[in-house]
Amino acid sequence: MINAGALHAQGFKIPATVPELRTYLQAAIEVEHLTIPVYMTGMYTIRAGTNRLAYFTIRSVVLEEMLHMTLAANLLNAVGGEPNVAHPEFVAEYPAKLPFSSDTIPYIGLRHFSPEALETFLRIEKPRSLLPNPDDDAGWTSIGQFYDAIRRGLVALVEEHGPAAVFTGDARKQVGPEDFYNSGGEAFAVTGLPTALKAIEVISDQGEGADDTIFTDDDRIFGEQRQLAHYFRFNEIYTGRGYGPHDLPSTPPSGPLLDVDWDDAYPIYGDSKVEDYREYEETSAVYREAVGFNACYARLLGYLHSAFNGHPRHMALAVPTMLELRDRAQWMYRNPHPDPDLADEGCHASPTFELEQAHFDEAGEIVRRTVDAAGLRTGEPVDLGALAAAPGRRFG
Amino acid sequence: MTAPPTVPPAAAARRHYDAVVVGAGWAGSLIARRLGEKGWDVLVLEAGNGGTETWPGYLDSLDTFYSAVAKVPNSAYRPNRAVPSPDVLDMAPVRATEPGGKEFTADGYFVQEGPLPYGTDYLRALGGAGMHWLGAVPRMHPDDFRVRAGYGYGRDWPLTAADLQPYYARAEREMGVAGDAAEQRGLGVIGDPAYVYPMHTVPPSYIDRYCAERLDGHVVTEPVGGQAGELRVTALPQARNSTPDPAYDGGRGFRPAGAAGLPNYGERCVGNASCVPICPVQAKSSPLRVQAGFNGNVTLATRSVVTRVLRGRGGTVRGVEYRSYGDPATPVSEPYTAEADIVVLAAHAVENARLLLFSELAATSGQVGRNLMDHPTMLAWALSAEADGPVGPYRGPGHTSGVEVFRFGDARRARAPFRIELSNWGWSWATGAPMSNVAAALGVGGTADGEVRPDPTFGPELRRLLGSVIGRQLQLQIAIEQSADPANRVTIDPRRHRDPMGNPRPIIAYDLDRHVRDGMVAARHVARAIFARLGATDHTTYRPQNGVPPIGHLTHTYDGREVHLAYRGAGHGAGTHIMGTDAKTSVVDSYQRTHDHPNLYAAGCGSMPSIGTSNPTVTMAALALRSADHIDRHLADLHRPVAVRVPARQHPAARQEATS
Repeated sequence: MINAGALHAQGFKIPATVPELRTYLQAAIEVEHLTIPVYMTGMYTIRAGTNRLAYFTIRSVVLEEMLHMTLAANLLNAVGGEPNVAHPEFVAEYPAKLPFSSDTIPYIGLRHFSPEALETFLRIEKPRSLLPNPDDDAGWTSIGQFYDAIRRGLVALVEEHGPAAVFTGDARKQVGPEDFYNSGGEAFAVTGLPTALKAIEVISDQGEGADDTIFTDDDRIFGEQRQLAHYFRFNEIYTGRGYGPHDLPSTPPSGPLLDVDWDDAYPIYGDSKVEDYREYEETSAVYREAVGFNACYARLLGYLHSAFNGHPRHMALAVPTMLELRDRAQWMYRNPHPDPDLADEGCHASPTFELEQAHFDEAGEIVRRTVDAAGLRTGEPVDLGALAAAPGRRFG
Repeated sequence: MTAPPTVPPAAAARRHYDAVVVGAGWAGSLIARRLGEKGWDVLVLEAGNGGTETWPGYLDSLDTFYSAVAKVPNSAYRPNRAVPSPDVLDMAPVRATEPGGKEFTADGYFVQEGPLPYGTDYLRALGGAGMHWLGAVPRMHPDDFRVRAGYGYGRDWPLTAADLQPYYARAEREMGVAGDAAEQRGLGVIGDPAYVYPMHTVPPSYIDRYCAERLDGHVVTEPVGGQAGELRVTALPQARNSTPDPAYDGGRGFRPAGAAGLPNYGERCVGNASCVPICPVQAKSSPLRVQAGFNGNVTLATRSVVTRVLRGRGGTVRGVEYRSYGDPATPVSEPYTAEADIVVLAAHAVENARLLLFSELAATSGQVGRNLMDHPTMLAWALSAEADGPVGPYRGPGHTSGVEVFRFGDARRARAPFRIELSNWGWSWATGAPMSNVAAALGVGGTADGEVRPDPTFGPELRRLLGSVIGRQLQLQIAIEQSADPANRVTIDPRRHRDPMGNPRPIIAYDLDRHVRDGMVAARHVARAIFARLGATDHTTYRPQNGVPPIGHLTHTYDGREVHLAYRGAGHGAGTHIMGTDAKTSVVDSYQRTHDHPNLYAAGCGSMPSIGTSNPTVTMAALALRSADHIDRHLADLHRPVAVRVPARQHPAARQEATS
């Protein structure tokens, strides 16, 4: 992570200047992204067609983390910052320390769909209301507290300098509903204090729940169906039981039993690294696939970087890349771990999410070529047809 | 989006409603939602099964589709003995037993008397045929509403295209339509100079571009009407989520609706290519979205089969009798009655006719069940030139573009007009590809003698072969206008033909007249010219193979020669209770109210006196919204205090205010 680790180490503080606020918002993008490989691993290790409720629940949370990442980028752009997501340090090394949380929380690892993985998910999303009384002097205790610090800093800066001095960003950089919609609220442009506060509210509430309930605010903000906040959605899977309409954050779910089968997943050794796979390069294609996955992930971040830095339409190029990542991840999970000892224990191969500068250099070139070929323009229909194969290709 | 509130069928019977709507497809759902918004108590009775409005139910439909052997339009929905649906698999071609005899058998829900097969299916389930439709929503052209006055065939509407324009726009908002309004304006089907669709057009497929590059500007002259048509590949307006257009609604933009039954879901079209019958990401619009917007005034009951409409005093009706069943496999049912001030039949053209006939209502004109229509669809198939490489079939919606020029113009006086769809799904409709290609390459079925074939293809050669023969498949689907003909009709014979619950089955008599057949000859000619222009090898044949004709086979004499032709059903059943101004010659008025019964409406494609060459759903939806406004006024009139001298606040009957 570029900023989040350092900010965490500095201890609790409310951003006092616009440059500080930008540093915090870049850290916010990193924190939102940190969860995505973790949740993706939990989701894509589910055997196809099984644990559907869990699959779609995790998927819904991943989509909201993507939304949060986008809204955080909109916030940073609105205050004149430049989101940086195509950078080796942007991606955490797993197992990763969860920033802005209690130091007692164990490191967050990549784990297959299992009670252990859900425990990790619950730790990430734990609402402030379930934690000991948050005291600013006690340092960082939750991501909700971190967003609260951003909110307080932003409000104070606007009060002190006026909105025009804070919201100096180019409005054309905002990613709006044209380029990101549905799937848990929708992206909206941040153009001033009201929309900025709304963005912060969406990010905090979808994770933790609004006003000490188990529900989000999406029904109020987006006119959507009332739905559970992330923590409580995960708790349903973990406990195998749904929440009832009158359940509270502090009570266990009291609704119907849910169909969760922990055996319908590919067990992995989540701390595997590309280097570990390289040893078995001669006997297993897993090494090649692991490298390919990370290269693909760098391309995803390349498109997102472009989308967050003046070309919102390029979000459309990230979507097929996400589908490619899904397919690549599932290919790997279906293969045994190349290490015979781990394979004997039933472990399968898994993507490592290790990104190095070389990946971004290689991806940058491909992203540039694809962006040029696609020719997407703001205001025009999204059409990736220009990327289709040219006529004259033969069958081989 | 939330699932609509549903009640057990028995609970629905206990109240008097302002309106009962029979059928929860597009038309019924749009009318019910509108009336509910206006504060009226509405009961919607759906004969079929529900379930798809929930997420597990939707996934179950997906599984049913994935495991189906034949991916026909109804393959995503479980068979229902209590409420059977007609299916395209019900028909099979056979050798005629006598010269000129029937060349098909039909053993499904329809009793088909011929002489030609009525190849159209529909779905009796929550959402109706809106659960298996493609989502094609082109508006009708102004000329399509006045074919008798303009071109001397068929029947005219009591409405003009201009009357419907605002309702088309509303329907497109309700359904969530993506399209290119400027292009449609160029065709003359959109009048409003400032209109834009809610969403940008769904991107054209590779096949669309391939064809556009080679066809645009090329002139083809068809020999029947003598029309010299300049080909132009045009985007199809679709009820499918794409990129919302910020310019929509005077700059207010459009918020696409997501999936039914699951928050956080529902994507833009990503080209899953199974739109018919079911979109796995719910980019395709369905009536479930409308139902999700039902307010508390609308009660929805599934598995509630309306058996007849009940007569009231004078010429009115007082409600409906319906039967509720539990297990769709064993249609044991209980009878109930629901009373209402207004009854709206919105159960499909064929079902509306069946209900009116069995209830012996709206009989004055003798037109109930008559003028049954469809868009007889000719398929033409070819392989693109090997040198051009693959054209990328089996990607994206069923079709995303068409050639429109033969829909319009004076030539329709001489022959039926037609719209040419460019298929994105290869030869699937014509030959059952790609499965049939795999089977043929593997030698499945053996030799003519029943021996194992000696020369099957395997391995890399199989892949190369399939890549070549599947990847180059081009198919044209040519939808031909069929005009109102009273001899094409739905009847019932309750003594002889009943379904397992005891309801009369539709008996169908169907033929294609000379005007349609001349249109088919012209279409065949144009298809050949298009394939020639593309440099493609035409593989189309309508001749009998080993003595067995293809389904929908017919012969026609044109220019002194006998030609073989064949058509399929488009699923566009229409025209069984057509609208008009004269109670002696039509069944409903322009608001779809029956001439005979002031509080009985028959809504849907059945009301259409002509259907042009446009997929009829968006026109049906526009009519439904127009009728809903009328029914709202009608109900307000019914509840207006009678004694005008009594001050309104002392009068107990100010019902409209009470329920608003």
